[in-house]
Amino acid sequence: MVNGYVAASLQEALELRAAHNVVPYAGGTDLMVENRPGVAYLFLNKVPELKRITVDDESIRIGAAVTFTEAIASPDVPQLMKEAVSRIAAPAIRNAGTFGGNLGNGSAKADSVLIEFVADAKLRLVSLRGERTVDVDKFYLGRKKLDLGNDELIAEILLPKQGLEQYYYEKVGGRNALAISRVSFAGVFAAEDGKITNVAAAFGAVADTVLRFKDIEAMLLGKTLDEAKALKADYLRAYAERMVLTRGRVSAEYRKNVCMNLLGDFLTKFGV
Amino acid sequence: MADIRFTLNGKATAYAGSAVDRLLDVLRDEYRCTSVKCGCKEGECGACSVLIDGVLYNSCCVAMGAVEGASVVTMEGFRETKRFAALEKAFGEVSAVQCGFCIPGMVLAAEALLSKNPHPTEDEIREGLSGNLCRCTGYNAIVNAVNNAAKEGNGLW
Repeated sequence: MVNGYVAASLQEALELRAAHNVVPYAGGTDLMVENRPGVAYLFLNKVPELKRITVDDESIRIGAAVTFTEAIASPDVPQLMKEAVSRIAAPAIRNAGTFGGNLGNGSAKADSVLIEFVADAKLRLVSLRGERTVDVDKFYLGRKKLDLGNDELIAEILLPKQGLEQYYYEKVGGRNALAISRVSFAGVFAAEDGKITNVAAAFGAVADTVLRFKDIEAMLLGKTLDEAKALKADYLRAYAERMVLTRGRVSAEYRKNVCMNLLGDFLTKFGV
Repeated sequence: MADIRFTLNGKATAYAGSAVDRLLDVLRDEYRCTSVKCGCKEGECGACSVLIDGVLYNSCCVAMGAVEGASVVTMEGFRETKRFAALEKAFGEVSAVQCGFCIPGMVLAAEALLSKNPHPTEDEIREGLSGNLCRCTGYNAIVNAVNNAAKEGNGLW
């Protein structure tokens, strides 16, 4: 095959990745639009180890070459993730687009990546040298900059099995179908014995990477709903000060207003 | 170097060009499957929709290397089926076709939808066709056509 290698197994894929200068190709939906000149692809769409969704004691593990359509049909994928990926583009793109590709493309607009940030997902990266697991927020070093070696492949996305049940998700786009996110927001909430145990908030499409501020979230951790309500104004002010947003298809001011409105609405939904 | 082997409309074939080439371009230029239209090259319009192993894809967003070993169906192949006859009749009866540019993709999207969901609701039809843009009809006639095809072609899907 000219300018391409088809891997039939993960081992073969890793050998090809190490031996040649190749771009990993899973679904192709971003790569074919980008259409880089002089490139050779490593086709991963037939690697069985990357096509599985499995569940272990702690995690739901989504293979990097699993498509969005396959995830939507899986009983194991959390509803929050399903809701986000079902809003991606249209059926033909969801049939092709994959979780690994959404990550590897490096965009802060990637709808599945937003959920991975808010869920504290981990990524399993593999190479012939071995494997390592990184937190998704550490994987993004900057705009389109990833912590991924030239010989490495994204193998799996690990989502926590529990804790994503109570969520808030909004994607703001220019139209209903085929919309690229202008602002996307995901929040996850949990409380035990009347005290807040998780109040994760992630903002997509508004900066070089997905944004999440765990130190501001910590303001509300361990608080009762009434205590959190009293802190709400300070909490929102902290976000407003911290969020420096980029201009995209819409102005930075518009994006910030939308982010703040969604954040406030997220807290209201869960009684804060 | 080995060619890329795949099946096009039921016939085995081999492509000797680059694995990076767009399926869309190869179908049109190499195989003269001109039912496959190029509207955007960005996966936004659906005019280049094809079925690969029965699943709907935008052929502009598929590299040739990805179809190694796969079965590709375009309108040139699908038009030989009974399902196509039912869709053609339904599209004609409600005047769902005007300029026709989007129609091969629209019909293959309908086939992909009905083969998974033989009795879709109107919302499900609109979702199934949501990746296929039409600048002429305003969509309602197309939605009606797919709905009628599902009813009248009962048992085909």
